[in-house]
Amino acid sequence: MRAKAGAFTIALIIGMLFMAWGPVSAQEDVVEIVFWHMEQPPHRVERIQQLIDEFNEAHPNIHVSQEPQNWAEIYAKAPAAVAAGNAPDLLFAIPDFTPIIRQVGAVQPVDDFVAEMDEAHGFFPSAVEPYTYDGHVWAVPLWNMAHSLWYHVDMFEEAGIEPPETWDEWLAAVEALTDEEAGVYGIGLPANRHLYTDQTVYDFMINAGAFELYNEDGTLRFDNPDTVEALDFYSQLYQYSPPDSPNWTWGEAEACFVSRTCAMILQFTVIKSYEDQGEGDPENLGVIPIPHAADLEESGTIAYPNAVMLLTDDPDKQEAAYEWLRFLLEPENYGRFLNMEPGLFLPVTEDGSEAESYWSDPLVVEYEAQIRVMLENSQNGMLFGFTGGNIFPSIAQISAQNLLAQTLQRVVIDGEAPADAVAWGQEQMIEAIEAAEE
Amino acid sequence: MTGVNFYRVRRTLGVWIPVIVLMFVVIAPFYWIFTGSIKAPQEIIQRVPTLFPQSFTLQHYDKLFSSSDFPQYLLNSTIVAALTMIVTLLLATPAAYSLYRLRFPGRDLIFKVILVTYAFPGILLLIPLYTMLTHIHLVDTLWALVIINVTFASPFAVWLMEAFFKAVPHELEEAAALDGADRATILARVMLPLIAPGLGSIAIYAFITSWTEYMFASVVIISDVNRTVPVGLAGIIGQYQVDWGLLLAGATITTLPVLMLFALVGRHFVEGLTAGAVK
Amino acid sequence: MRQTGKVKTMRTGWNSQALLGYLLVAPLLLWLAGTILYPLMAAINLSFQNVGIIGTGGQYIGLENYSKVLGSGKFWDAFKRSLVWVIGNGLFQTVAAFATALILKQRFSGRGIARVWVILSWIVPTVVVVIIWRWMLGTSGGIVNYLLVALGITPEPVAFFGSPNTAMISVMLINSWRWFPLMAVILLASMQNIPQELYEAAAVDGASPFQRFLNVTLPGLQPVLFVMGLVGTLWSFNVFDVIWLLTGGGPSSGTTTLPVYIYEMAFKKYRLSRAAAASVLVGLFLLLFAVLFIRFMAPKGEEEGE
Repeated sequence: MRAKAGAFTIALIIGMLFMAWGPVSAQEDVVEIVFWHMEQPPHRVERIQQLIDEFNEAHPNIHVSQEPQNWAEIYAKAPAAVAAGNAPDLLFAIPDFTPIIRQVGAVQPVDDFVAEMDEAHGFFPSAVEPYTYDGHVWAVPLWNMAHSLWYHVDMFEEAGIEPPETWDEWLAAVEALTDEEAGVYGIGLPANRHLYTDQTVYDFMINAGAFELYNEDGTLRFDNPDTVEALDFYSQLYQYSPPDSPNWTWGEAEACFVSRTCAMILQFTVIKSYEDQGEGDPENLGVIPIPHAADLEESGTIAYPNAVMLLTDDPDKQEAAYEWLRFLLEPENYGRFLNMEPGLFLPVTEDGSEAESYWSDPLVVEYEAQIRVMLENSQNGMLFGFTGGNIFPSIAQISAQNLLAQTLQRVVIDGEAPADAVAWGQEQMIEAIEAAEE
Repeated sequence: MTGVNFYRVRRTLGVWIPVIVLMFVVIAPFYWIFTGSIKAPQEIIQRVPTLFPQSFTLQHYDKLFSSSDFPQYLLNSTIVAALTMIVTLLLATPAAYSLYRLRFPGRDLIFKVILVTYAFPGILLLIPLYTMLTHIHLVDTLWALVIINVTFASPFAVWLMEAFFKAVPHELEEAAALDGADRATILARVMLPLIAPGLGSIAIYAFITSWTEYMFASVVIISDVNRTVPVGLAGIIGQYQVDWGLLLAGATITTLPVLMLFALVGRHFVEGLTAGAVK
Repeated sequence: MRQTGKVKTMRTGWNSQALLGYLLVAPLLLWLAGTILYPLMAAINLSFQNVGIIGTGGQYIGLENYSKVLGSGKFWDAFKRSLVWVIGNGLFQTVAAFATALILKQRFSGRGIARVWVILSWIVPTVVVVIIWRWMLGTSGGIVNYLLVALGITPEPVAFFGSPNTAMISVMLINSWRWFPLMAVILLASMQNIPQELYEAAAVDGASPFQRFLNVTLPGLQPVLFVMGLVGTLWSFNVFDVIWLLTGGGPSSGTTTLPVYIYEMAFKKYRLSRAAAASVLVGLFLLLFAVLFIRFMAPKGEEEGE
């Protein structure tokens, strides 16, 4: 018995070692491209797979495959994979993520390719800018996302409210729409220590004029009266937000809006959920730019140009990867690519934003008016740490720790005065930057 | 008569109410998840929740199976859990026999050292383990998860065997020995049948430990074809948007296989644990 | 050896039994050494360097990480929260598990079924536990607040994660909900181990049910309580996923226990080495706890079955 068990254990271990060598693949003439993205919901994966299949069909000597990952884990997983030599050839990115992977030393400059694509399709400069620093372009932009203020048209009409443009109007509208007896909240604002909260806080900062996090010399200017004003106003609106807002992510906010529990929310889009899980009436779905403080002329919003980084240093693989990206950015494919989540991902090329393949999606047709507004809002989009042409990669450390959200929590959860919280926030940011420079 | 009534009332209060409250606390959330998963999307997030579904749809399940690799995830989780179970049995049973039936210097210390392995935070082990698994080419394989899960399951499994081994009277072994049986025969013929219920319990324990593991699986597994159910399910939550119906269907489907397993062998888990008692 | 000594054939010598003993326990020990001891050494090695992001290089900087961690207020805050977490979980789970075991020990029809299915919340993955509770405690479609308000238990919806304290309690209760059934079933099994004669004898002596519990049940459970106390404490101290997935350590760091602190240090602040130092300290602390616990709580002279 004991001998058997021992022999079995040994056999098992040997078996394991053999398993390890299993997937050593064959054909040498086919270039394998593995790319990781973080668009894990099944329907998005499915759409990308369709495009991959078409591409592989047309390119017998290239084989592209996708491995969907999760944003929540990728910050730990990607550097570990790079360090261990398990990195993919292409890896999707948001501006904050690129500096992290660059520090692991894996990101290849893509200046020439981006120039080529710019020539062919016309990149919006705001999409390339956040990936341009230290003398190179570090990723190929693929789509943009920007926040807007979403509201229920009929709720506004019943209360006799016009869509707000300034903060005073906004606060008045939120107050008027809140009816806690009936379980209706004027607005849903997150206070979680989460990227979503970072984003909404920055929406308020932009619209208070505090969009720059850095001075030109790279020192921080987070601690300024405009930021304080933004946080103060956030906390005023926050009183009208549902009690579970402290652990919200995007999904809860959307559910709150779509179920008509929240009259308004700030989100990239609500179209898909509104159509599938809500009333689905395009006439009743309002979308406007985020209101701004009285002393500003126009509204701004947070925008995330998403991109893809090239990690492989093998020239053959690089060329194959470029071929795949050329295919994706081709207007006839690009629209279908973006519409893996219709009404969420906005085009970043000129010919893409007019592409038939983009505008012909049934959901896009139905909500075209809303998407036009989203596109327009995205033109005034900015991203903290990537404004004014001065990009300091240390922003990655600041956003990884959700310091904007943490600062907000001190105000709305702990009841600290906004000015003190902002001063605390700046201290934390300085510490984070020092850590990055160590 | 009044005596009987009094007894009934007392019995109702003393036995049934606690039982009902207990089962409600454990089971009600699952009822809520399951009924949610067959509601129309609008009803799921409705402001005033409906205790009983007002609508019925299988669209969430349909979507789950048509557009995601859930069957693959289920298969992977089952493979990992089954292998974890086997390896745990192979490692823990001899160890438990040694620790609870034999006497040798350091025995007590070894038992305590095994339990104390739980002192080290999983997060602490995550990174070095990842590097180690890379060196032996096991990253992104199901074996990697088996290795990790066995580590987490076996110390406690050893201890779960204590009651069984201790319950077997030494006289039995000695009697067999007097009949001239060697130790291996004693183990196989005398010991094994007596501890079988215990083996069943630790097998189930190891299976469940593996089935529920999330943190390591989320980092060590890279490709979709090797993903386990908890990680696949977390993926459905997705960035920017949540399809609640799909999520609830996923949660239900994730629960279902262990539910079925438990319907079949659950009695043995609980009875197995208690069986050590019934000498 | 007292008794086995009587049997000649078994006594092929003390050495052979010891050898067999070591041989049988060796595979498990080797396995644990490979998967815990080796990574632990690697982590200790890492803790003396200044590695930032995983995969970047670092130099040896001696004990600096340790002095930074020990000098950091946030570490000690997390430490305190971890103590609160462990004590809270221990309390909730012990009470719930004992109550459950006592309930299920009684005779009633359907007891067999109840004993099997009470364990339901333990057999589902953490991710499902989190999904269940996030949704149930939310505003949109959330049943708990709806019922609380509808039944007049609370005047308005409760913000379960609204403040550091309520969030801590909520997460504790959710974690305990997941674990108490396993504890209960093990306790139940062990309670059945206690010879009925002891209860009868106590009853004859006129002991009340509570006295019987105190004088018969508890002492009888001591070996099990010892291991459950030890393992349960270590397990709950190291719980990470439930907390992380429910609150991310918030709000306002209210649920940032040590594992969350370490994770943040490694993957959010990108100070891998410092995180390693913190986790080595946590490991040492838990080791110390375990040694003391074993020293003072281990059942004495427990030689039954020999």
